[in-house]
Amino acid sequence: MSIPAPLRIDYKTLVQDDRIHVSLYTDPRIFTDEMDRIFARGWVFVGHDSEVPTPGDFVTREIGAQPVIMVRKRDGDVSVFLNRCMHRGTMLCPAASGHTRTFACPYHGWTYDLDGTLLGVPYPGGYASFDKSAHGLRAVPRVSSYRGFVFASFSRTGPTLAEHLGPATRLIDRSCDLSPDGEIELRAGWVKHRCAANWKALPENDSDGYHLGFVHLSLFKTVRSSQYQRVVGDEKAIKAVVRDWGNGHIEIDWSPGYEQPFEWFGSASGPTVERFVAALERRDGSERARRRIMEGPAHALIFPNLFLGETNVAIVQPVSVEECVHWHTPMFWKGVPEFDGRLLRMSEAGMGPASFLMPEDLIVSARNQAGLHASSVEWLELARGLNREYIDAEGRAVSHVTDETTNRALWTHYRTVMTEA
Amino acid sequence: MLSDAHYRAVVEFLHREARLADEARYAEWHALWTDDGVYWVPATTDPAADPEKHLSHIYDNRTRLDTRIKLLQTGHRYSQEPPSLMRRLISNIEVERAENGEFVAASNFILAELSVQAKHEMHWWVGRTTHRLRLVDGALKMSQKKVVLVNAAEPLPNLSFLI
Repeated sequence: MSIPAPLRIDYKTLVQDDRIHVSLYTDPRIFTDEMDRIFARGWVFVGHDSEVPTPGDFVTREIGAQPVIMVRKRDGDVSVFLNRCMHRGTMLCPAASGHTRTFACPYHGWTYDLDGTLLGVPYPGGYASFDKSAHGLRAVPRVSSYRGFVFASFSRTGPTLAEHLGPATRLIDRSCDLSPDGEIELRAGWVKHRCAANWKALPENDSDGYHLGFVHLSLFKTVRSSQYQRVVGDEKAIKAVVRDWGNGHIEIDWSPGYEQPFEWFGSASGPTVERFVAALERRDGSERARRRIMEGPAHALIFPNLFLGETNVAIVQPVSVEECVHWHTPMFWKGVPEFDGRLLRMSEAGMGPASFLMPEDLIVSARNQAGLHASSVEWLELARGLNREYIDAEGRAVSHVTDETTNRALWTHYRTVMTEA
Repeated sequence: MLSDAHYRAVVEFLHREARLADEARYAEWHALWTDDGVYWVPATTDPAADPEKHLSHIYDNRTRLDTRIKLLQTGHRYSQEPPSLMRRLISNIEVERAENGEFVAASNFILAELSVQAKHEMHWWVGRTTHRLRLVDGALKMSQKKVVLVNAAEPLPNLSFLI
């Protein structure tokens, strides 16, 4: 049996500046290649500090196709280990989350400490000599975090997390700084929404401002809110923009269209809101505090799998070439727990299988996936906005919210990653 | 005390409610609710789940329930356009009477949903439902419906029909 030769897929031909090839959504060899090049080499979002507050707390996730455990160690640091016993490969932790003192394999009783150290191997007489230190849990080599968002990379070398994020850290700041304590907390649990489409449909749709008035017509016809009405209607009257932050990080910025504070929050008034604004003003001064409540949190994709969905954090989880899962949970703002209930209800309205928005997104994604099997037409168009996008003072491409500037930025970075030596 | 007549009325209500949901008869299903109705589908099977602390799939008060129905009635709720073809079986019914006079009915269900909005796929939904039913002007109405799916915490396909 021989190991197959490396794939020779010509991504420079498949991803062009104004169109992309259908096989990027349907070819299982390309999916395998992506799990290696994007998910097993680059920086990938794993979870948030607040999900594992005390030593022994863990959550299980998948980085691409590989199951991992994110755990708080006794020294207070967070590590990410492959979720498999180093003996015969048994998955150590099937639970989605929990608290433990050790990780014990049910198969032959090998037991590991929270830092991955192999503590014990039953019946050691079966080995002439056994170096326990060589059989500790396999840690994902690099783990790094920004404002509590934990990312991991299987590459020992290459860009640091700071280099990968670049100026896009400001998108994370924009969301975290709405908390008077400057921290968000993920403690509501996750909802997982299954989608019969290639995983790339999720970041593409999350950053697409063109579909709103069509895919979500049922909501626009039912709910009359200024937040929604400002992003549909006359093309010239829409002020929201799309923006390319580099390295595949992309944003829809609704804020140029907002005219009142808290439009992103469905407007707000009352004593709770007044206390919240006062806390932001104490920290930031009144001018910056006012800007925060006008602009609201980010609506942005951090390449490849973290979606800052305004008051939600979402994860894009690939499953197979034609299936993926969209996870989400509300961002609770530390310091104002009295908003937790409202943030929960906003999450349930917007995201998840029973919400008022995402079912439409994901059924259209599934219809895209089905339509792409009409593969006699080989190309998907991606040229919208090339006639009017511009580079701003900070070097970022910006355009009308209905333009495909974000999608092109995603694919341009994809092509770079998929063709790197 | 629960009389045979009460038990029969509760079971008939459950069967009718199921049929109206199966057949996407939104207005008639909507009319089964009290004005203070709460429609809850937790995102976990943990009995300690608290909708004020934990994310749910659905936690509708009456206003949001009204919106849910209106969306389906626009004809543009594409995740249910056309509506899924559904039939559900209800069994293992246990009925009690609460101190405030409401009937509390717990039951198991299995629901076959043929999703027809993209590629046609059969989805199976299984869980336990708790209804709270109140007599309003001589007719039973739902003041609460809580549906705990066995796979509440797993990846779910669209759930925009009436479960």
